[in-house]
Order: sequence, then C-alpha cells, then structure tokens
Amino acid sequence: MKLQHKINIRFLAITILVFSIAGFLFYSILGRVVHQNIDEMLQSRKEILIRYLTNHQLQDSVYQSPDNAFVIQQYQGQNLFQYNDTLIYTKTDKEIIPFRKLSFSITINGKTYKIVLVQSLLESDDLIEVVFYFMLALFVILFVVLFALNYSLSFSIWKPFYNMLNTLKAFKIGKTQETHFPKTGTFEFDILNETLNGLTQKLHTDFINLKEFTENASHEIQTPLAIIKSKLEMSLHDPLLPEKHRNYIHSAYESAIRLSKLNEALLLLSKIENRQFVEETNIDLTLLVKEKLNQIEELVELKNIKVSLDVNTSFEIKMNPYLAEILINNLLGNALKHNIRNGEIRISAERHLLTFSNTGKPLTIEPEKLFKRFVKQSASAESTGLGLAIAFEISSIYHLSLQYKYQNGYHTLSLFENL
Amino acid sequence: MKILVVEDEKNLRETIVSFLEEEGFFCDHAENIRFGSQKLDLYHYDCLLVDIGLPDGNGLTLIKELKKLHTDTGIIIISAKNSLDDKISGLDLGADDYITKPFHLTELSSRIKALLRRRKFEGKKEVTFDNIQIIPENRQVQIDGEQLPLTKKEFDLLIYFVANPLRVLTKEAIAEHLWGDFADSADSLDFVYSHIKNLRRKLVEKTGKDYFRNVYGTGYKFTGEPL
Repeated sequence: MKLQHKINIRFLAITILVFSIAGFLFYSILGRVVHQNIDEMLQSRKEILIRYLTNHQLQDSVYQSPDNAFVIQQYQGQNLFQYNDTLIYTKTDKEIIPFRKLSFSITINGKTYKIVLVQSLLESDDLIEVVFYFMLALFVILFVVLFALNYSLSFSIWKPFYNMLNTLKAFKIGKTQETHFPKTGTFEFDILNETLNGLTQKLHTDFINLKEFTENASHEIQTPLAIIKSKLEMSLHDPLLPEKHRNYIHSAYESAIRLSKLNEALLLLSKIENRQFVEETNIDLTLLVKEKLNQIEELVELKNIKVSLDVNTSFEIKMNPYLAEILINNLLGNALKHNIRNGEIRISAERHLLTFSNTGKPLTIEPEKLFKRFVKQSASAESTGLGLAIAFEISSIYHLSLQYKYQNGYHTLSLFENL
Repeated sequence: MKILVVEDEKNLRETIVSFLEEEGFFCDHAENIRFGSQKLDLYHYDCLLVDIGLPDGNGLTLIKELKKLHTDTGIIIISAKNSLDDKISGLDLGADDYITKPFHLTELSSRIKALLRRRKFEGKKEVTFDNIQIIPENRQVQIDGEQLPLTKKEFDLLIYFVANPLRVLTKEAIAEHLWGDFADSADSLDFVYSHIKNLRRKLVEKTGKDYFRNVYGTGYKFTGEPL
C-alpha cells in the first residue's frame, strides 16, 4: 500500500471517529439544553397561571385556552407534578407533532386544580436538525479540504522522498559509482540524503575493496602454489631422483594440485556471492549441455555409461556465460563422477525445467546437505566437495531453483526457473 | 627459438626459465613491464610468455606494445584462474594462448611448441620423433610413411608426449591436458592408463618399439631409447 493511501486511510478513520463522537456529544448536549429551556419556559408559564388563578375565580370547571396551550380543570386526587413528552394532533398544522407537557395540581383559595401546560417541540427539533446537518456539512467540507491538502502535500513535500526511492531503486552494487541526492530544504530528508549518500559510497568502496581483495588473494595464493607445483614438477623430472623420493614428491605434488583446485573453487564461490560476474547474455542452456556432452563423450564411453538426451525445447536464460558454463560443467560432472560403471545419464529439458538424472550408489549424506560446502559423498581426494555448492550458488543468483530427488535408483537434479 | 618470460615471481620465473632451457629454448626473462618492454625493444623473440598481474601494471600493456613492434611473435598469457575478462581482452589484443596458474610445466612446453609450430610454419611442419611423423594440421600420424589410425584423444596424447620427450608426464597433467575442466569428473586417472595402453599397443604393433616407460606411481615417460 502506498504511503499516501496509508496516511489517507488513517486520516479518514480518525476524522470519522472524532466527528461522530463530537456530533453525538454536540447533539445530545444541545438536545438537553433545548429541553431544559422548554421546561423553564413551562415553569414560568406555570407561575404566571398560578398568579392569575390566585387573583381570579375560574368560572367553569374546565378551562381550555384558545391556542390549546393549557387546560385547567378542577381536580380531586393526589398531588401531581410531572413533565413528559407527548404527541398531539394539531388542527392548525394537521399533523401529529411532539409536545412537552407539564401536568401539575395546585390548591388555590381552597380549590384544587389540575393544570396541563404544553409546548410544541417542533421548533427545537428543527433547531437540532439544522445543527446536525450543519455539522455534517462541515465534516464533509473539512474532510475534502484536508484530503486535497494531504494529496498536494505528498506531491510537494514528499517529492524528494520519492525521488530518493527512485534513485535507490536504480542503485546497483558494482555498477553505480555513487548516488547523488540533491538538497531538499527539509531537515529530515536532508539528513536521510546525507546518510544515504554516505552509505552508498561506503557500499561501493567496500565492494571494490572486497573485489580487489578476492583478486589479490587469488593472485597471491595462486602464485606460491604455482611455484610449489612447478618446483615439485621439476624435481619429478630429475632422472637421478631415487624412486622413494619420487613418491614423496609426487604425493606432495598431488596435494598441491588439490589445494590449488580448492583455492580456485573457494575464490569462485566468493566471487559469485559478491555478484562479480555482472556481464549477462542470453544463453540456451540446452545448447551448452550438448556442447559439454561432446567434451565428455569419451569419459562417458570409457565408463560405459549410456547417455540419453530428451530435449524438445530450448531453456533460455539471461546469465553470465562463464557462470553458465561452470553450472553445466558441474552438473554434468556430478552426474558423471558419481555414476557407476555401465550406468546411465538422462538429461531432459522442458520449458523452464532442465533435469539431470544419473544412476549411482544411494546417498550416504543427508539430501538437505547436498548443496552445502565440503559435503562429500565419497572420501575421494579428487573431489573438492564444492561442485554442487557452486552450482547452487550460481542458480540462486539467477533466480533458478536447484533441487535433488532420488527415485527408482536415479539421482535427479532439477534446475527450474522460479516463476 | 627465443622466448621472453615476463613474470614477477622470482621463483616461478626461474623454474620456467630453467625448464624451458632444458627443453632447448633460449630464454630471456624480465620481472616487470619496464624491463620487459626494454627487452622487447632490443631483441626479437619468437614467443612472449607474460603474466597479467605485474607489479608495475597489467601485462596486457606489454602485448599492445609488442603488437606495434613485431607481429610475428607468439604470445601466451599466464594468469590466475577465473579472470575471464583478462582472457577475453588478452585474446582480443592478439595473444595466441592463455594458461592459468598453476599449470603443469609439461603443459606449458607443449603449448609453446604448438604455438611456434603454427606461427613459424603455418601449421605445416611435421613433428618427427624417431620414425614417427606427426602432421598436426590434419591430425595424422605416419610411421615410415604408413598411416597410423589414432582416436582424437590418442592423437592429443601422442602430441603431448612428443612435445615433452624424456620428461615424466604425471597422470594429473595428462588428465588435465585431455579433459580440461572435466579432468577430475570421473575416474580420469584410470582412463589415462587405458588410453596410454591403447596408444602404446598401436605404436608397438607398427614400430616394434615400446616408447613408453612407466614411472611408478607418478606417470609416464616417452623415450626413444631401448629398455
């Protein structure tokens, strides 16, 4: 939900709440005041009547005023004094309208009368109604005005904020050198801008440093390793080397090769994690699979593995060509390495799905750990235990899923696009 | 054949130089771009072996310089692995080959020999070892004028051995030469053995000579000497 909508909804809710409480209070207070006024009016009319009755004799037993405002009649009964609301049909208006009625009994000069005074509530009801509609109109006007104000404010005051958002959205680590947010004149935004400028700058320099570190580390470690390897190789070429020493040197040489492969793989992983492979092109992975299958044709034959390829469609994806190659290399290599003699490799491609199935011994490790680093099925020295970890890392940065399944003696790795 | 090795790491430079000198090349060396470009100005080399990461800059600048002076000098780039950019820009500048650290010295010498062969004789030169004649251009092998049919990998293997006679070729180096990235994918070391067995048998059948020597536990040696 947009910030503006959020603010508007809260604003609407609060205004409605405040106005309805205020309206209710106002209405009931006003109603009570008007009633009180009418009651006081009746009271004063009562006193005028009593004064009149004290000085004058009432001729009839019942007297009704011509405007029906009061009725006086002789009365024998309990003391009476009560206010109540009543509805009376008036001939003048020809309708039933609400009245306030005061009935009381009084004894004057030895005679007891019952007097009923009425006062139309019509005017006071009208008053309350007018006030209510006025309040409602006020509420609507106020709301519309505030709403419009809020809307235009979010365009002017919040504008730098939205600009900021757009700049940040366009920010790409490794690509954008630095961001520049202009001065806004709003204290908070200026602080935010400053912080963001600093942050993006820091991000960029950190990224560059990290990248440089990886590259330097690669160079610094590879070079001594290359020296170790070449010196050992030179010693192996020495015809006078005793056989015993040759074996020592050869195993040191083997370990140096392993170490350098491990180093390469780890550096590759960190480079992938640092998103250092930014260049992207459209690549058909099925073509790549076919190409790589040609390369391993012989290794496959030597192990007497049957390869079946079921590719009806292309699997195109925008990714770094080098990483695509590594991904396919590792998946194919995995299917080959962990295969058995006279085994099988099945590769199939559907839309957004590429699967590699291979025969092989059941997993001795938990399937969930398959993509973790240094998790090896075999304790063989040849495996670095990083191949699938690298494949997984590559898949995830291109929003691909890599999943493992074991079914009917086939280990299946499926690569599919997250849609 | 004159080769200039530009590598900043003294130990590695010396090893490469002494290995290549043993192979019969005349080697010159430089430790940085400044000395390298001085040597390129003064002398004419058949091959330049240049490291990308040098203390005073990128080795690619040396390639640019060389291309202005002599276009017939072969260039091989040495670099750390995974630097695809270096590889592409190096080959774009006109480098002939690219080898990643750490490499097998025997691989390096076979690359240099293949490069020189292509450069100097436009690929027509035959390689002769004893009475084995190899014509790399059309991947043929003749023994005393008679064709020896070999599979692709057997041919690659023979070329590799012939480029490094009397050297111990380790199983690892052979596997990497034959299968590159997939060298550790399968039981490739066993396959090295079966390839060599086949090549050996074919050569013995035709020539009556066994050129291969097992170097126990380490690898193989190719030699014309009788046992």
